[in-house]
Amino acid sequence: MATTACFIIVSRNEIPIYEAEVGSAAKREDAAQLHQFILHAALDIVQDLAWTTSAMFLKAIDRFNDLVVSVYVTAGHTRFMLLHDSRNDDGIKSFFQEVHELYIKILLNPLYLPGSRITSSHFDTKVRALARKYL
Amino acid sequence: MEPDVSIETSSMIRIAVLPIGSVPPSLLRDYHSMLLRHHTIPLSAISSFYTEHQKSPFAHQPWESGSLRFKFVLGGAPPSPWEDFQSNRKILAVIGICHCPSSPDLDSVIEQFNVACKGYNSALVKRCFAFSPSDSHLEEGGKKGENFILFPPADRQTQEFHLQTMMQDIAASLLMEFEKWVLQAESAGTILKTPLDSQASLSSEEVIKAKKRRLARAQKTIGDYCLLAGSPVDANAHYSTALELARLTADYFWYAGALEGSVCALLVDRMGQKDAVLEEEVKYRYNSVILHYRKSFIQDNAQRVSPLSFELEATLKLARFLCRRELAKDVVELLTSAADGAKSLIDASDRLILYVEIARLFGTLGYQRKAAFFSRQVAQLYLQQENRSAAICAMQVLAMTTKAYRVQSRASITKHSLSNEIGLGHSDGGKMHHQSVVSVFESQWSTLQMVVLREILLSAVRAGDPLAAWSAAARLLRSYYPLITPAGQNGLASALTNSSERLPSGTRCADPALPFVRLYSFPLHPSQMDIVKRTPGREDWWAGSAPSGPFIYTPFSKGEPNDTSKQELIWVVGEPVQVLVELANPCGFNLRVDSIYLSAHSGNFDAFPISVDLPPNSSKVITLSGIPTVAGLVTIPGCTVHCFGVITEHLFRDVDNLLLGAAQGLVLSDPFRCCGSAKLKNVSVPNISVVPPLPVLVSHVVGGDGAIILYEGEIRDVWLSLANAGTVPVEQAHISLSGKNQDSVISIAYETLKSALPLKPGAEVTIPVTLKAWRLGSVDPETAAGKNASGSTGRHLRDGSSPSLLIHYAGPVTNSGDQSDVPPGRRLVVPLQVCVLQGLSFVKGRLLSMEIPAHVGQNLPAPAPVKTNSHKGSIDYENKMDKLMKIDPFRGSWGLRFLELELSNPTDVVFEISVSVKLETSSTEDSQDAAEYGYPKTRIDRDYSARVLIPLEHFKLPILDGSFFIKDLQSDRSTTGRNSSFSEKNTKAELNASIKNLISRIKVRWQSGRNSSGELNIKDAIQAALQTSVMDVLLPDPLTFGFRLVRNYSEQATKVKSTVLAHEMTPMEVLVRNNTKEMIKMSLSITCRDVAGENCTEGTKATVLWSGALNEITMEVPPLQESKHCFSLYFLIPGEYTLVAAAVIDDANNILRARAKTDSPDEPIFCRGPPFHTESLRNFTRQVKIPFLS
Repeated sequence: MATTACFIIVSRNEIPIYEAEVGSAAKREDAAQLHQFILHAALDIVQDLAWTTSAMFLKAIDRFNDLVVSVYVTAGHTRFMLLHDSRNDDGIKSFFQEVHELYIKILLNPLYLPGSRITSSHFDTKVRALARKYL
Repeated sequence: MEPDVSIETSSMIRIAVLPIGSVPPSLLRDYHSMLLRHHTIPLSAISSFYTEHQKSPFAHQPWESGSLRFKFVLGGAPPSPWEDFQSNRKILAVIGICHCPSSPDLDSVIEQFNVACKGYNSALVKRCFAFSPSDSHLEEGGKKGENFILFPPADRQTQEFHLQTMMQDIAASLLMEFEKWVLQAESAGTILKTPLDSQASLSSEEVIKAKKRRLARAQKTIGDYCLLAGSPVDANAHYSTALELARLTADYFWYAGALEGSVCALLVDRMGQKDAVLEEEVKYRYNSVILHYRKSFIQDNAQRVSPLSFELEATLKLARFLCRRELAKDVVELLTSAADGAKSLIDASDRLILYVEIARLFGTLGYQRKAAFFSRQVAQLYLQQENRSAAICAMQVLAMTTKAYRVQSRASITKHSLSNEIGLGHSDGGKMHHQSVVSVFESQWSTLQMVVLREILLSAVRAGDPLAAWSAAARLLRSYYPLITPAGQNGLASALTNSSERLPSGTRCADPALPFVRLYSFPLHPSQMDIVKRTPGREDWWAGSAPSGPFIYTPFSKGEPNDTSKQELIWVVGEPVQVLVELANPCGFNLRVDSIYLSAHSGNFDAFPISVDLPPNSSKVITLSGIPTVAGLVTIPGCTVHCFGVITEHLFRDVDNLLLGAAQGLVLSDPFRCCGSAKLKNVSVPNISVVPPLPVLVSHVVGGDGAIILYEGEIRDVWLSLANAGTVPVEQAHISLSGKNQDSVISIAYETLKSALPLKPGAEVTIPVTLKAWRLGSVDPETAAGKNASGSTGRHLRDGSSPSLLIHYAGPVTNSGDQSDVPPGRRLVVPLQVCVLQGLSFVKGRLLSMEIPAHVGQNLPAPAPVKTNSHKGSIDYENKMDKLMKIDPFRGSWGLRFLELELSNPTDVVFEISVSVKLETSSTEDSQDAAEYGYPKTRIDRDYSARVLIPLEHFKLPILDGSFFIKDLQSDRSTTGRNSSFSEKNTKAELNASIKNLISRIKVRWQSGRNSSGELNIKDAIQAALQTSVMDVLLPDPLTFGFRLVRNYSEQATKVKSTVLAHEMTPMEVLVRNNTKEMIKMSLSITCRDVAGENCTEGTKATVLWSGALNEITMEVPPLQESKHCFSLYFLIPGEYTLVAAAVIDDANNILRARAKTDSPDEPIFCRGPPFHTESLRNFTRQVKIPFLS
């Protein structure tokens, strides 16, 4: 498992709808903030890159110091962004794919308004389990 | 590292611009900007200043197209250790700027300039420009030498021209100096060193190596000068040589430098023309530059110096060169790798510059978020330096990031876009499309926004900018209060307070803090001041106006062309208006709003401020008021709030958007909901127009505005006072009624109102209105029952049931020319608050009868003329013992009928009942007062019931006719003729008429207390009571009997009227009258008894003392005739006797049977007369039995 990893789902309106620190490193507030800043900045690159490929998994698209940003863009332009310090493309890809399935299940919930915050604790638990499994 | 580097930087001549003496900063900036215009001097322009002393080394100088470029360094710069490596880093010229009025002593200025120039050894040209010299200066200025140039005061254009000439002169001097330097360098050869070259131990091997390298370095430097001199071809030639030599000596650092120079030469040569091939070439060469800089990295002196900054600079230069949207990917890669290098940079300021440059390049690329990210890194570096200027820098850098993080201050948003947005909101009518709602909240990344705002707050506090600090704290608190702990909220509140203490009072800030303000409602005009559109030219001008009912939609207004989607509101100049707004304080501290008032941008509205205290987590609806001052349109976009020491404007639209976002789950929390306020429908700001003053009618009920309490049936006059409280006279007024129970208003004095018009301002008119309380109970018995059950005394004050007076009134029509622009009228609704109390209630009514025996006298009591069908009395009043008793003319006894009314008083007051019966005679002579006879009053205490007896006078029909029974008999006899049915109808009608007549004469009035009185409406009740016993009451008996003494002799008898002496034969006669239209045969019997006891005629139990009887007298009485039968009585014992006549009718017909209500036809019909009273006086003491003589 990666020591540092921060997973965020950004809606098509550029609003983070889910955020989780999934790294094994001790959690520090300023570090968590920095992670989000990096991910936020990486959106600029995703925005251009997403239209250049038909693949959903854009691999590592950005980095800052030794932290790498991997992105997965769904068809609805919801972006799964993972900030990590390990190089494990296959694991990350599997992680994204499985999270995508979870996300679709959330979307199928008629009470969930697309683009709003994901508050399901079940989703959270599953995502953290997937992070332990793949990252 | 240096900021703002590009590939072309290598071709720029660096000039230090130094202020000499004291120069006011604004002037210095001005002079600097003048200099900046001359950053490029074409070679063609300097040829006149240029003199070729020896053969120029720049053989291929492009005199026609080339130019010299300057880079002005304001304030100068310390010499760089790398200036040998890159000649463009040298300060090659110094320009001093002097402001003569500030430093008048020119000698000292020159001295200062010379001192300043000492720091710049590399400077080849030195000039001091003195601006705005006085005449004396000009005089002596000429002697000060070549380097001191005075700019005589002149207009700007002249001065600029002068400056241009001076710059061309400088350019020419520099060019000549470059030539000199190059010639010298080519011949002598200079030792060129960089900090990279190890200086510690120069081993012999190193020295030999350095000698070899010297040539390459010299060639490179000459190339640099060629570039500076604007001769790229020469430069390229020298660079090529240098590259060759450097490769041979493995001097990678200088190789990279030469390569960089050659690229610059290439670009200068192409003079800005870019094509794909050139781009590829540049990219290829620069990649090689970067590679060689990296190669030159030497491990042993890495701690001290490193070529890393050159590598990064080269990367940035390439990135800047490529910086275009299409090449974004390459640029991003370059910048990312440059950012990676930041870790290895030793110098913090280098890192700062690197990040600044990366941020700028990302910004140019359009990657705002990336730019913001690196800007924030810069700010963090600044914040690491604990000084004020760094904090100011940090604050400014952070301010630039706010746009990307969507936390910008409202002040930084341009006015234009703001007004655009407002316009949008207006046209939308408050109903925003979902997409646009989402766009409002786009990029709301709360974690980042909070961090950025907190950093801005921190830097602003450190920089000592209280307004920026206030603004940041306000934004932080307002937008992210749900994410901040109560302690943090308190901290922010105190930050706001502390900042405001350092601000002058009355400071305005564009960013609102707390509280949240939303529109609660625009109260329409109170019904007393309703404004009604006037339809010109119509008598009922209010009729065509907008619907004023409770319905928003009326089918009648559908066809109207006006757009009713937007609410229209009319305010009147000079009349205070109110708007309800709701404030919310979702934070954990007590919020004191020093003042809040409506902000109107239209400038024709005076708002009244109020102050509010909001406890933690609370919301409050407050009323804000103001007065429109000028007719026109008013827009109220929000409220102006003075809170935490700063004045801010809170727009309703923002909060509406926020609430909308909260509803969509896009925003963290709804501030009103979390304060426990109910969800409110989105209230849109209506279009408000202000009209010139209108009259205002104010009404009050004379004698108190409380509810008018009336008991059922009460009639009362109410005085309504109308006063004109406006400043315009009322010229038209009309009263109409509305609401329920309109018929309870009996009369309104329209004329009084009409005659008072025009009603001047301040004038008052009183109009009487007569009210009659309606009946309760029938309205809704259920609620009444429920109220009674709940223990209430049956009071009914129901708002809906009272009628209202609608008074439409209007002022004068000002401009008669324009018909469409008529000032509106108004409508005053005066609800008559009538509270009808349940008064006396009628329980039941019934008829009672009572008989008092008549005395047998000489005359029959009052024989009535048969012809008179009506009951006009021909009663001998003298015979009456009491007024109350009336003699039935046909029965001969005192037959009394009473109407008994049972009334109950469920109220809590005392009622007094007075019954009055209008006498029959009244119709002719007597006046009304005399004709009405009032009976003594009956008092009914509360919660008691009482019976009121109303004596009914003789009340009989003269003839027993079959027609009454037709109806009953019809079932038996089917042969009923038409004529009979006609007469039946007639008689029935007569009967009904007589009943009605009777009823109408009875009036039951009540009075309670001093001033409430009324009449009981019990007609129906009486009628019902009479109807049941109408037969008994109205119909005469078939036979009536009367007794009479027959005296024809004695005087005694005349004296003692109707007395009988015992022991004397008393002749009497019995009169039998047939009231039917047929002959009746009967057998008459007369009984005389002396009875002790009450009931003397009926029952067997009566104690009969003496009795005698005369039986079986057969008589025949013709129809409607009387028959006499004479007999004599002989009383043996004096005493009181009662005479009763009775008859058994033979061969009774059906009518008689029906009257007698017999069951079977065989039953004998028995007819009994009323008892007659006689008294036999004692004149003898013998006891005798009464013999009956026939």
